[in-house]
Amino acid sequence: MSTPVLETENLVKIYGRGPSRFDALKGLTLEIHRGESVAIVGKSGSGKSTLMHLLALLDAPTAGVVALDGRPVSQLKPAAVSDLRNEAFGFVFQQFFLNAQQSVLENVTLPLKIAGVPRSERRRRGLDVLRQLEMDSKAENKANDLSGGQKQRVCIARALINDPSVIFADEPTGNLDSATSRVVEDILFGLHRERGITLVIVTHDDDLAARCQRRLSMQDGRIVNDDAATLHAAAAPAAAVAPHPARHTPSSPATGRHAAVPFPAEPPAPEAPPLSRRERRRLEAEADRRRSGARGEAERA
Amino acid sequence: MRSIDVAGTALSNTLRSKLRTFLTVVAIVIGAFTLTLTSGLGAGVNQYVTKMVSGFGDSNQLYVMSASPVAGAPTGDGPVEYDPETSGGGASMMGASTLSDEDIETIASIDGITDVEPVVFVNASYLEAPDGDQYAVDSLGMPSEAAAVELAAGELPAPDTAEITVPESWVEALGAGSADDAVGLDVRVGIANAVGEMEEFAATVSGVSLQAVSGAGGAPMPSQSLNDDLYEYQNSGLAVDRPESYIQAVADVEDLAADGERIKQELTEHQMLGLTLEDQLGAIQGVINAVTWVLNGFALIALLAASFGIVNTLLMSVQERTREIGLMKALGMSGGRVFGLFSSEAVMIGLMGSVIGIGLGVATGVVGNQLLVTGPLKDVAGLSLYAVDPLGLLLIALLILAIAFLAGTLPALRAAKKDPIEALRYE
Ligand SMILES: Nc1ncnc2c1ncn2[C@@H]1O[C@H](COP(=O)(O)OP(=O)(O)O)[C@@H](O)[C@H]1O
Ligand SMILES: [Mg+2]
Repeated sequence: MSTPVLETENLVKIYGRGPSRFDALKGLTLEIHRGESVAIVGKSGSGKSTLMHLLALLDAPTAGVVALDGRPVSQLKPAAVSDLRNEAFGFVFQQFFLNAQQSVLENVTLPLKIAGVPRSERRRRGLDVLRQLEMDSKAENKANDLSGGQKQRVCIARALINDPSVIFADEPTGNLDSATSRVVEDILFGLHRERGITLVIVTHDDDLAARCQRRLSMQDGRIVNDDAATLHAAAAPAAAVAPHPARHTPSSPATGRHAAVPFPAEPPAPEAPPLSRRERRRLEAEADRRRSGARGEAERA
Repeated sequence: MRSIDVAGTALSNTLRSKLRTFLTVVAIVIGAFTLTLTSGLGAGVNQYVTKMVSGFGDSNQLYVMSASPVAGAPTGDGPVEYDPETSGGGASMMGASTLSDEDIETIASIDGITDVEPVVFVNASYLEAPDGDQYAVDSLGMPSEAAAVELAAGELPAPDTAEITVPESWVEALGAGSADDAVGLDVRVGIANAVGEMEEFAATVSGVSLQAVSGAGGAPMPSQSLNDDLYEYQNSGLAVDRPESYIQAVADVEDLAADGERIKQELTEHQMLGLTLEDQLGAIQGVINAVTWVLNGFALIALLAASFGIVNTLLMSVQERTREIGLMKALGMSGGRVFGLFSSEAVMIGLMGSVIGIGLGVATGVVGNQLLVTGPLKDVAGLSLYAVDPLGLLLIALLILAIAFLAGTLPALRAAKKDPIEALRYE
C-alpha cells in the first residue's frame, strides 16, 4: 500500500471563541491516495470548503494533523508551506480570480513567476499548457475579454502549469452553464486519467460528484459517508488500485512528456518525527524525485 | 519570485492606476526638486566663497594680526594701563592695533615659519592715462591678493617689473577700445610722500581685472616691486624714520597641518592672532551652511508630506487588490515576498519622483544660475549660485528611496498579513 498523498488525523477546525465559537470540523481522519478523484459533497455550511482549505495547506487546523506524502506539515514554517503549495498543488476556484488587465499567458504563468522560473521558460511552459487546453490562440488576449468557459480553462491551465500532484477545485462549475460545465469537467477528468493527477473537488453538483471515483459526504463538520473507506477496509492492499480504471495508457499526443502513473511504488515513509531543517529539505527533494520517478516509470511502462 | 520579476511587477502595478501614481509622484517630485535646488545653492555659493577666499593666498599661509588691546578703544572693561612695551611701537590704524617691525621679527623667529611678509597699504593719488588725463585712485590693490584677481585680458603683473593691472571699468578712460587694447598701455602712478611732495612712477598695463565680490580686482594693482617702490616713497620725506606699522602680516608655514595649532598658540602668547585660510573660510561657510540647512529643512518637510501620499496610495492599492494578493498567497507566494512586492512599489514611486525631481532641480539650477550670472549679476566675477554635486544628488536620491521604503512598510505589512482564504472568499 503506498503512502497516501494526503492524509489527516483527527482534524478539528474551530472558528471564533466563547459564545461565537463554531466547530466547523469535528475530528476528521481520512486518506487520499495518489491518482484518486475525490468529491467532497454536502449541504452548504457543512464544512466542505474548510476541509479543502486545510488539505490544501491554505489554513492551519485548530487541532489534528495534515500530512503530505506521509509528512506532517504543521511544523513547517509558513514560507516552506507556501513553497509546498506552489510546487505540489493546483487550484481551481468557483470564481476565476484572473487578473483582468493581464494577458492570459501572464495569468497562467503566475505560479511559475512566484516560483522564480525565468521569463523565457515561463513563456514556453505557459504556451505548452495553453495548447493542451486549446487556448493558445488567446495567449496574448486580456483575461477580461474571455467567456466564462474560456476563463475557467485559463484557470485550469494555471492550476496545471507547475505540474502539480493534486488539483483542488472548489465548485469549479458553480458559475458555468451546463454545457460549459461539461467541457470543464471533461478536461479535469481527462487530466486525472491521463496524468494521474489527484483531484479533490468540492461540489454541490451530483453529476460532477458521480464522475469521481470516491465521494466524501459531509454533514455538520463530520464525514457521514465515505464510499472509498468501506472499499479500502474490505479490500486487500493491492485492491486499492482496483477502483481505478486502467490508467497505464501511453502519454497522450497532447501532453507529450506526461504520462499517467497512478501509484508509483514508493517505500513507505518512516514514522515522522517533528521535521528538522534537514528533513524539510529531504521532503522537498523527495517531491522532486517523486515527479522524475513518475516520468521514469512511465517510460519503462 | 526573482528580483527582476518583483521589480517588473511592481512597475506595472504602479502604472495600473496612472492618475493616482502620477499625483503621488508629483508630491515626491516637489520635495526632490526643492531639496536639489537648495542643496545645490549651498554648494554653489560655498564653491564661490572657496574660490574667492582661496584667491587671498596659499593654503599654507597664516594671517597674523595684532591682538593687543588698542589704547583708547572702547573695550567696556575700563581704561587699559599704558605700557610702553606693547603700545609703544604699534600705532593704531583705523582703530585696529597694528604690528610693529619687532612683531614681524617675533613672528619670523617662531619655529616652523619660513617667511613673513608684512601687508602694506599704498595710497596713490592718481593714475595718468597715456593721453595725460589723470584719474583719482583711492588705494591700490595689494599684490598679495593677486591670486584672487580674475582677468578679462592680459596677465597678472610679474613680481619684479613695473607693471600694473587696471579694472575693466577703467579701460575706456585710459583711451582703449577694449580690454585687450588696454594691455600694454603706458601709464603713470602719482603718489605723495609724507610731506605731500608728488612723484610719478611709470608702469605698463599687464592686464585688465574683473571686480570680485571680495573687492579684489576693483582697483589698479601694482606688481610687488612697484608696490615696494611706491611704499618706500610714500613713507619718505621725514627727517626721522617713523616706526613702521602694519595692519597684517602673511607668514608662510612649512607644515600648517602639523604646526598650525602650536604656532597659533605661540602667537597668542605674543599678543597676536593667527588665522589660516580655513579659519577665515570656515566662518563664512558656517553661515552659508546654516542657511542651506534651513532651506533643506523646508524641502525635507515637503518630502515628509509626500511620504504620507505614498502610504495613502499604497493602502488604497492593497485594499483594491485584496483578491490578487490572496491569489498570489494561495499560489505559494510567502508573506515576505508579498511585503517585498509592495515595498518595491513604494520604492518605485520614490524612484520615479526622485529621478524626475532631481532632474528638474538640476536643470532649473543650472539654467537659472546661467541666466542670473550672465544677466543681472554679470558684474560679479566668478559668481556661482548653483553647483551640481554628484555625491549630494546621489545622497538625495538614496534619502528619497529610504523615505519611500519606510512609507511603504505599513501598506506592505498589511498586504503580507492578508489571509488568502479571507481574500478569496465569495458567497
Ligand atoms: N472564517 C470563518 N469564521 C467563522 N465561521 C466560519 C469561517 N469560515 C467558515 N465558517 C463557518 O464554517 C462553516 C463551514 O463553512 P464552509 O466550510 O465554507 O462550508 P461549505 O463550503 O460546506 O458551504 C459555515 O457555517 C461557515 O459559516
Ligand atoms: Mg464552500
